[in-house]
Amino acid sequence: MAKFHTVAKAVDVGDGEVQAFDVGERTIAVAHVGDDWYAFDDVCSHRGCSLADGELQGSSIVCMCHGSEFDMESGDVLQGPAVEAVDVFEIRVEGDDVEVAV
Amino acid sequence: MRTAVIVGAGLAGGSAASTLRQEGFDGRIVLLGAEEHPPYERPPLSKEFLRGEQALADVYLRPAGWYGENEIELRTGVRAERIDPGAHEVELEGGERIRFDMALIATGARNRRFPIPGLDLEGVLDLRTVADAERIQRAAQPGARAAVVGMGFIGAEVASSIRSRGVEVTAIEPFETPLFRVLGPDVGRVVEAFHRDHGVDMRFGETVDRFEGGERVKAVVTKSGLRVECDFAVVGVGVQPNVEIAEGLEVDNGIVVDATLRTSAPDVWAAGDVARHDHPVFGPVRVEHFDNALKMGPAAARNMLGARAVFDDPHWFWSDQYEMNLQMAGFAMTWDDLVIRGSLEERSFTGFYLAGGVLRSVVSVNRQRDVRRAMPLVKAAIRPDPAQLRDEDVDLRTLLPAS
Repeated sequence: MAKFHTVAKAVDVGDGEVQAFDVGERTIAVAHVGDDWYAFDDVCSHRGCSLADGELQGSSIVCMCHGSEFDMESGDVLQGPAVEAVDVFEIRVEGDDVEVAV
Repeated sequence: MRTAVIVGAGLAGGSAASTLRQEGFDGRIVLLGAEEHPPYERPPLSKEFLRGEQALADVYLRPAGWYGENEIELRTGVRAERIDPGAHEVELEGGERIRFDMALIATGARNRRFPIPGLDLEGVLDLRTVADAERIQRAAQPGARAAVVGMGFIGAEVASSIRSRGVEVTAIEPFETPLFRVLGPDVGRVVEAFHRDHGVDMRFGETVDRFEGGERVKAVVTKSGLRVECDFAVVGVGVQPNVEIAEGLEVDNGIVVDATLRTSAPDVWAAGDVARHDHPVFGPVRVEHFDNALKMGPAAARNMLGARAVFDDPHWFWSDQYEMNLQMAGFAMTWDDLVIRGSLEERSFTGFYLAGGVLRSVVSVNRQRDVRRAMPLVKAAIRPDPAQLRDEDVDLRTLLPAS
């Protein structure tokens, strides 16, 4: 059963930023775009590069290593070389805290 | 039932087959590959795979079983001889004919072989396929001496990977730096510095005259008389497109396709290394990079299904050598200005190549984000203010004119 973990203070992930946080065994990328927050597996499903090092493009993220693009809401591949989706997680801002359900 | 035949099971062909299914094509898909493998990614062959860090199955585009599960008839080890656009047939080696309603030619390219004496000696290797990479792996034992002929991307990446396996490397290159024709001398010297730091003995301005040895290569001798003793040689001197199948189609440094990737024959498209594309920004261009194959294959597939979309990707690729990640976008055969953001000396910079004031291509060393952000600028063919390109405080994304 997924439970919410506090990963950061909301002010520490600025608008247009994406950062990686360790939650238990996993590393989760958290992206902040305007009023929207996204949480997804930081590990690119193609060759394992960090997606938090990637480039935000609207509601998708582009991996800096080989150009795979993922929809941050669904985790789906929008552009290869990746062929598998990445896991996405529920995310919410409670007061000052960013919380991710893992 | 309609039949789509894809000739060539590399990245362009493989990704086109997936796209046809994903876009709802419910006819027959035949994917023909000359090699014995399902579609795989070639970039690791000069990098992770060559260094022994990645297994063969890890470089497959999709798991081998995926094609059958998706009712794609993948036939490997099969060579197509001829395409007959009038009869709508592809003829295979041995005479079998397959009728198609639409066909995609994605036959790729093969390594150039110049008539150099001794090129057929044992131990004179080149790199295109998994089998080639495995041959280099076996030769690249610690302490072995290698001659790398040509410091383009393949030569430079192979030099880097076999250095990490403890091979002594001497590189022979006709121009004055590695990657000279693509990057020019300023950026080329930075690449040279990485190789020098890692102990590659580079001989510039040298052209191979002959390979010497009995059965097996013992030395490479250049036209100036330089003699490089070696246990094996790797030749990386470019590729030529596999156009032979296209008899009757328009061919000019590749199979000529229009902006929508259609050949001169109805119902026949081409994509990947073999396609000479009429690019809306760069003009006629044939691109030999991974990302292009991966985007052009699906774009051709969508057009085969009636999308009629112009392919206008700005082109992008990367190269990993030692601790250097080089990325490049766009296409410039020539340029008259190179603007640097960052520092060549510190080996962290982005270079913008301008021709007649228009941004044509962008290269970065260990600054991937700049290239990603400059891709829309290249696609828009902007005329930037060089001072803004140089200024680290200017966000490249803001240089895109409002449309």
